[in-house]
Amino acid sequence: MDFAHFFMSWIDLQLLSLVAIGTFAGIYVGAIPGLSVTMAVSILISFTFSWEMYDALSLMIGIYMGGVYGGSRTAILLNIPGAPSAIATAMDGYPLAQKGLAGEAIGLSTTMSAVGGFVGIAVLGFAAPAVSEFALTFQPRDYLLLAVLGILLVGSLSGESLVKGIFAGALGLTIGCVGLDPLTAQERFTFGQIELWGGISFIAVMIGLFGVSEALQQLQHVDSEAVKQVIRRIVPQWSSVVKYLPISMQSSLIGVIIGALPGTGGDIAALMSYDYAKRVTKNPEVPFGQGAKEGLIAPEAANNAAVGGAFVPMLTLGIPGDAVTAIIIGAMFIHGLNPGPMLMIERPEMFWFILGALVLATIFMLIFGLTGIRLFVKIVELPRAVLFPLILLLSIVGAFAVNNSIIDVYFMLGFGVLGYFMKMYGYQIGPVILGVILSRLIDDNWRRAIISDQESLPRLFHGIFTSPLSAVLMIAVILIFVSNTPLWSWGKRKLFPAQP
Amino acid sequence: MHDPSRRLPGERLFSLLLVALSLFLFYEATKISGFEGLSAPGSFPMFATGSMVITAVIVALQTVRLPESDEHGWRAILPGFVIFMAVMMIFYALALKPVGFLPTSFVFLLISTKVMMRSSLAKAALISALSLALVYVVFRLIFSVLMPEGIVPEREIIAGMRSILSGGGQ
Repeated sequence: MDFAHFFMSWIDLQLLSLVAIGTFAGIYVGAIPGLSVTMAVSILISFTFSWEMYDALSLMIGIYMGGVYGGSRTAILLNIPGAPSAIATAMDGYPLAQKGLAGEAIGLSTTMSAVGGFVGIAVLGFAAPAVSEFALTFQPRDYLLLAVLGILLVGSLSGESLVKGIFAGALGLTIGCVGLDPLTAQERFTFGQIELWGGISFIAVMIGLFGVSEALQQLQHVDSEAVKQVIRRIVPQWSSVVKYLPISMQSSLIGVIIGALPGTGGDIAALMSYDYAKRVTKNPEVPFGQGAKEGLIAPEAANNAAVGGAFVPMLTLGIPGDAVTAIIIGAMFIHGLNPGPMLMIERPEMFWFILGALVLATIFMLIFGLTGIRLFVKIVELPRAVLFPLILLLSIVGAFAVNNSIIDVYFMLGFGVLGYFMKMYGYQIGPVILGVILSRLIDDNWRRAIISDQESLPRLFHGIFTSPLSAVLMIAVILIFVSNTPLWSWGKRKLFPAQP
Repeated sequence: MHDPSRRLPGERLFSLLLVALSLFLFYEATKISGFEGLSAPGSFPMFATGSMVITAVIVALQTVRLPESDEHGWRAILPGFVIFMAVMMIFYALALKPVGFLPTSFVFLLISTKVMMRSSLAKAALISALSLALVYVVFRLIFSVLMPEGIVPEREIIAGMRSILSGGGQ
């Protein structure tokens, strides 16, 4: 019976429309440089706050899938990746456009993004129930280590320095602590203000960090001119699709695995699969970096496959795969759902619904991706001077709309300014939001773990190193730490001295 | 894009401010429940803020040692448009509730579009009105998001329009 929910968004006209609108909007949001899927979903959460869960999820899933793909279009046409996950796409996509093959490049990237999307969803469908069952055996200390691992991975992979990443993650954890302690109702960082008893609105933090700070950053380039491209046929030839299908499938598998690691997303998946395609393609028609189609297809398939992958830890462990799934987890909390292994037992219909909506969004992505290119070119050319004031206005209204509280707006503005300077000076924003989301989970599991070990740290560590799963997670945490210290480079130099 | 090998204007001050913020938060965390136990309500906040202190100090030490970037002055990190929009947002947030969504948003869009596009007042007004109409239709009428009414009797206007559309309020 639960499986029937797979088709819920397919047969309910309202849900079908919401997935379609979301995917369409996502493609354009992802394509316009400076607008990100994270920004769109974080602003949208505030407006869908009072909606039914299914409606809100349909829209968000559409935007997520469409947005990850949408970034490729401006990467190909303008050499400006619309989203971080399209950085690798620009390397060979733009040279193809310069040769007059923009239409073919868009067609191939759309088709292969859909292939990647389907592979990711298939893996999610098969892996999630098994992971979820396995997760039931997890101890509190395992959740604690997984969450710490997620924050560390985001910190180390998405920015210039692990130390700055850890700072950002710890800041997020601290923000998540504000309010009354859930166990003892003791005040934490409330400074005597009753308004802070319920904590800082998660939505205000998100809109500030992702919406306002990004829009302010983009205002630095408000005078930049839009570049125009001529596009002809975009539906790819069948022979091309068949020819590049193997590399697309291989890249999709890389994408889904990277996407499933807590804290990693489409951008890293795309770069890794680009590197993989470069190594395994022996004789490309043109060299990589000069318009190799393999170099375009691999990252595109991988970043969309990573979407399905990112849902695996989110739905089974309650740990987000990337920043967007962190926000979607937040939306699920708001609607009274608790992602984690129990979700698959208590609300299996939600899992099938999400799976069905993801498939539908991928189909819409294919349809919208291969049509409407003229409209697309017009929208992408929208002046920033019109676009960004509108985004800032929506950010303020969005932060206000959740609780009808002006305090939330002030918090949002404060986090917007903080996020602006953090980005300016090379701090990552992703770990902050991951920290806010995971704060409660880490706090709860830390206290459960230490209480079950009679408040003894030696006993806790003994437990960690005598359980295979905990030991593996702990070693992963230590490895990430050590690999970012000078000790690691020193060890590498000693063990593998450079050849003269 | 931030160049990690060079220190941007204001980066040293920012890193020191983060150290001060971290120390303050750590001090506040110690006041929650002191050091009474590992599972006490204050233990996790102390861990989180303690991590902030350690990492903020490391970053500050690294930043102080960096050579200065070629870019000088606050303009490099805070261009005029950014300051202008930040100030506009503060005024917008202050006026939103007492004045209402429609007039505040229109003025906000009008001034920001006029200044940033360097267009004529009429063009800026037209763009702002169209943008606001789109936002209003999507978020207020379709998404049913409640916006502050302020000085505009919005509900009465909507009710009046509905009454006209349904045949003169029969």
